[in-house]
Amino acid sequence: MAAMMQSAMPTSEPGYSFSQAPQSVAGGPRQHGFYPYTDNGGTTLGITGSDFAVLAGDTRSTSGYNINSRYAPKLFKIGGTGSANEGARIVLSVVGFAADGNALKERLDTVVKMYKFQHNKEMSVHACAQRLSHILYNKRFFPYYVHAILGGLDENGVGALYSYDPVGSYERETCRSAGAASSLITPFLDNQVNLKNQYDPTSGSGLEKVTKAPQPLSRQTVEELVTDSFTSAAERQIEVGDGLQMFIITKDGIEEKYMELKKD
Amino acid sequence: MPGFDFSNHNRNLALHAKGVPLPKATSTGTTIVGALYDGGVVIAADTRATSGPIVADKNCEKLHYIAPQIWCAGAGTAADTEFTTALMSSNLELHSLSTGRKPRVVTVMTMLKQHLFRYQGHIGAYLVVAGCDPTGAHLFTVHAHGSTDKLPYVTMGSGSLAAMSVFETQWKPNLTRDEAVKLCANAIEAGIFNDLGSGSNVDVCVITKDNTQLMRNYLTPNTREKKMRDYKFQRGTTAVLNEKIITKEDITKYVTVQDMGDGEPGVGEKMEVDA
Amino acid sequence: MVQTTGMLGEDGIHVDMGHLKSGEVNLGTSIMAINFKDGVILGADSRTTTGAYIANRVTDKLTRVHDTIWCCRSGSAADTQAVADIVQYHLGMYGITNDEAPTTQTAAAIFQELCYENKDALSAGIIIAGWDHRHGGQVYSIPLGGSLHKQAYSIGGSGSTYIYGYCDANWKENMTEQEGVKFVKGALQEAIKWDGSSGGVIRMVVLTKRGAERHLYLPDRNYEGPGMDRP
Repeated sequence: MAAMMQSAMPTSEPGYSFSQAPQSVAGGPRQHGFYPYTDNGGTTLGITGSDFAVLAGDTRSTSGYNINSRYAPKLFKIGGTGSANEGARIVLSVVGFAADGNALKERLDTVVKMYKFQHNKEMSVHACAQRLSHILYNKRFFPYYVHAILGGLDENGVGALYSYDPVGSYERETCRSAGAASSLITPFLDNQVNLKNQYDPTSGSGLEKVTKAPQPLSRQTVEELVTDSFTSAAERQIEVGDGLQMFIITKDGIEEKYMELKKD
Repeated sequence: MPGFDFSNHNRNLALHAKGVPLPKATSTGTTIVGALYDGGVVIAADTRATSGPIVADKNCEKLHYIAPQIWCAGAGTAADTEFTTALMSSNLELHSLSTGRKPRVVTVMTMLKQHLFRYQGHIGAYLVVAGCDPTGAHLFTVHAHGSTDKLPYVTMGSGSLAAMSVFETQWKPNLTRDEAVKLCANAIEAGIFNDLGSGSNVDVCVITKDNTQLMRNYLTPNTREKKMRDYKFQRGTTAVLNEKIITKEDITKYVTVQDMGDGEPGVGEKMEVDA
Repeated sequence: MVQTTGMLGEDGIHVDMGHLKSGEVNLGTSIMAINFKDGVILGADSRTTTGAYIANRVTDKLTRVHDTIWCCRSGSAADTQAVADIVQYHLGMYGITNDEAPTTQTAAAIFQELCYENKDALSAGIIIAGWDHRHGGQVYSIPLGGSLHKQAYSIGGSGSTYIYGYCDANWKENMTEQEGVKFVKGALQEAIKWDGSSGGVIRMVVLTKRGAERHLYLPDRNYEGPGMDRP
């Protein structure tokens, strides 16, 4: 039962720390290993609309073939007041190594709260996004092993979504999926949100055909696409399942939705 | 020459040394179990086949036929369990024809262990062998390296620990048929829900002195719910650059065409697809 | 020299199972066999492991190769089962063709042949004990390399390292059956207590001119019973 994929293949071995035990060759040289990262699986997804942003993530946490928890949220409110982040308008989603994700959330949350105390105004998503990039790059040579997505509303009240690589490279997008099932969800989103490979059926034929132009989606459409993405991912990705948590950010605040996913 | 073809071995070794990864085999994770009861034996399996973290088949069959009264549950490399059990089934039928006796479970177990030992674990078949023969009901496990165990209740595969925890807390001697089936199904469910390598449905097979009952999809605790949106594309969504129509008359020049008439086109098993 | 599945390094004892193929079923074992007044007694724990998982907690590591010639298996389960199966076949043929039961020495010689000639491919530490009309009871051990040693008593497997002192202190020549059973049981209890790879029940086989008699001692009865199997 050997590991067979280079990246995120679940193994029966614990993927962290002291899996490389010292070789017992008496008197000979010994090699000690230290690998502090684990892949906790799961998937996140974000889609924006003209006046809202939706961030979603499954709630399963795994290591290898084991389930650590059926409810370990990957979505965090950033800013607001108190430990419950009341009144927050920014959401961070993190997938990858859960411990790093948690540490990153704590850092960003502190920063956003400090900003409000020092400047007596809420931090904009734009500023928060750039600050997150810097926090990630600060650990360039010992990175936070996560794929982060930040969501909120911009200065004009339009849905804003920023996605990051583990060392801080980022970009504003309308749509992004990350984590274990991103390779399954991304092509679906390309087709359904950005209408890739879809032509207008009423336009001409052959090379004259006109591609469908992407339109801002309604909130209901987005929620349905998100739900279908996750129920389908849970069918084919073993690390995705148990529960789906959704944060919908509008001018009225953050609305949370939760639904069960398959538990096998 | 009978047996495996090793002619690509050296080439593959060279490719691997240059960094080409080995091809991925299906299904390392599985839960399979078996339990003896008064008057027979039960085996059960989950129906998930995986390729790394991806589910390759949501409803595969892991209970293999060996003889009418001998069945086998397989874990490990899908191809190895499939071909090894098929080989044993074939040889056992010839053996049964030659001796004029009903095949025995120990015979299959011995054939399996000798075959697997010869290949030193390279044939990744982990099996639960069960059946009824003139000497009674029997249950064995066979590991890929060729070792065997004889026990009243057994589990194998990545979900074996979850399944064994059910057996070790709920098993008791002198089970009835219904109790044994329930216990085995419970053990498989423990694997389905707690082991990521196992999932979907429960298959059960009950073998008694004079009957074998295969209960395909005995439990289906993981049916897919309806999708929220409809993803049917309107005709004309895909651009067509070129169109060529080949008539039935055209291909008759190359192949024989048989008209199936109206109704269901073709025969054979219907493919399972999502709604 | 007794059964060596382990070796002593500068920082303690290392069980030499390094070359076990990955995922292989392992008999990280406590096994022993002794001579006594009327024959031999074989004893073993019942634990079989794959890594940290106990694959079988009631294993029978005492294997019959002829009516009154048995062996204790340690190392790879697959390898030792295969070797024992082959020896059983040879001794069966010997018994029929010569119309006379084989001697323990013959059995040990066949074991040695297989273990020595295939030493590179096998991880098997085997103790052979038997009773025959010509020599009475005898105990042989074949450690990892395939050498053959005739001994008064032999201990083997990973658990044996903990009971060298016990056996040395308590061993007596020409014990009675009760004394022999007590000696084996006492030694295996200590081995099970200290060795994590050994455990479960204690199984024994007593080989005398009466034939083979099986004993079973359960941990939930403090290894006091049920004693001799009465089928």
